[in-house]
Amino acid sequence: MNFIDYYKVLGISSTATAKEIKTAYRKLARKYHPDLNPNDSAAELKFKQVNEAHEVLSDPEKRKKYDQYGKDWMHAEQFEKAKESRQSGRGSGQYTYSSGDEGDFSDFFESMFGGFRQGGQSQRRGYKGQDFNANLQLDLREVYQTHKRTLTLGDRNIRITIPAGIEDGQTIRIKGYGGPGIHGGPKGDLYITFEVRNSTPFRREGANLFKTQEVPLTTAVLGGDLMVDTFDGKAKLKVKPLTQNNTRVKLGGKGFPKYKKEGEFGDLFITYQVALPKELTPEQKSLFESLKGTKL
Amino acid sequence: MNVKKYISITDFCRGHALEESFIYSLHEIELIEIRQVEAKPVIPRRDLRRLERLVRLHRDLEISPENLLAVDHLLDQVESLQEEVLALRRRLNRWE
Repeated sequence: MNFIDYYKVLGISSTATAKEIKTAYRKLARKYHPDLNPNDSAAELKFKQVNEAHEVLSDPEKRKKYDQYGKDWMHAEQFEKAKESRQSGRGSGQYTYSSGDEGDFSDFFESMFGGFRQGGQSQRRGYKGQDFNANLQLDLREVYQTHKRTLTLGDRNIRITIPAGIEDGQTIRIKGYGGPGIHGGPKGDLYITFEVRNSTPFRREGANLFKTQEVPLTTAVLGGDLMVDTFDGKAKLKVKPLTQNNTRVKLGGKGFPKYKKEGEFGDLFITYQVALPKELTPEQKSLFESLKGTKL
Repeated sequence: MNVKKYISITDFCRGHALEESFIYSLHEIELIEIRQVEAKPVIPRRDLRRLERLVRLHRDLEISPENLLAVDHLLDQVESLQEEVLALRRRLNRWE
């Protein structure tokens, strides 16, 4: 483990003021920032060192500790004392920091500030991992009820809950199921886009359903009861006498479940299509002729 | 809302712990496009990678939105030049 001279990394003297540290950091960070140096691993490494130096030197407490023990850090006795006091201060009695991104900060930093890193995570400049996108095809019948489904993503199985009422084209985010974070940043997210196919006689608009229903001519003229199929069963309608073609009736709460509103449903709209006879018995024809005689 | 193509500004800012005003300031200088879908301000999903780069540059380097305009333009040029260099190298390798 080599001693890292943070002052040298930032190109400043050990008596540098906070303003000088900040100025030096900003200058170097601009020079080596990974976004400004795409595909340049040397710049990325340098940016990491500059960040590390800045994290220590811009914090008066850490800088004091670094100035006190830094150059003579190999004097174990003193260093261990510092370590012990740090541990007792945290109350855990052990270092639990686990590095999932080896090489992010130096071993030297780890030794000096291992206890701080964990608590100081928010001060670090981590990058969120890549977001993943996936598509999932479902039938309209399947999204009528909330259900669970297991997806296979690479070598992982993810069990997700698909809320009833999800829309065609809707995307949901599964936090933390994307690519690994960079520089200790959080994992990316998984975005699942749903393709909801409809093979039912119902047309869907949000939580409302629409359907065309044939009505016998006599029922439309004289009125009567009519059984209709709803999405999850049947309903009996009272057809009013002299109902006109394309009359629309609403069945409140017989539509589709509302997304993430447990127990709430849209409406079902039925449009009547009066069925005209395609053939008549002699008796029916005679009756129609009688009606014709009444100038109907 | 066709959420496949867009992400709401509110969601984006919540996810990145960001003030919405920053997004609007980028829009004012025409760095990003903001659309209204179902009365909600949204960002096209295709702009997400670029927007996240702008957020990092703003946070890490304290670059103001106005200066991000120049940086973004230069970065696009760098990317396109890098691609060109790679393509030329590949062609050159065929002759060597």
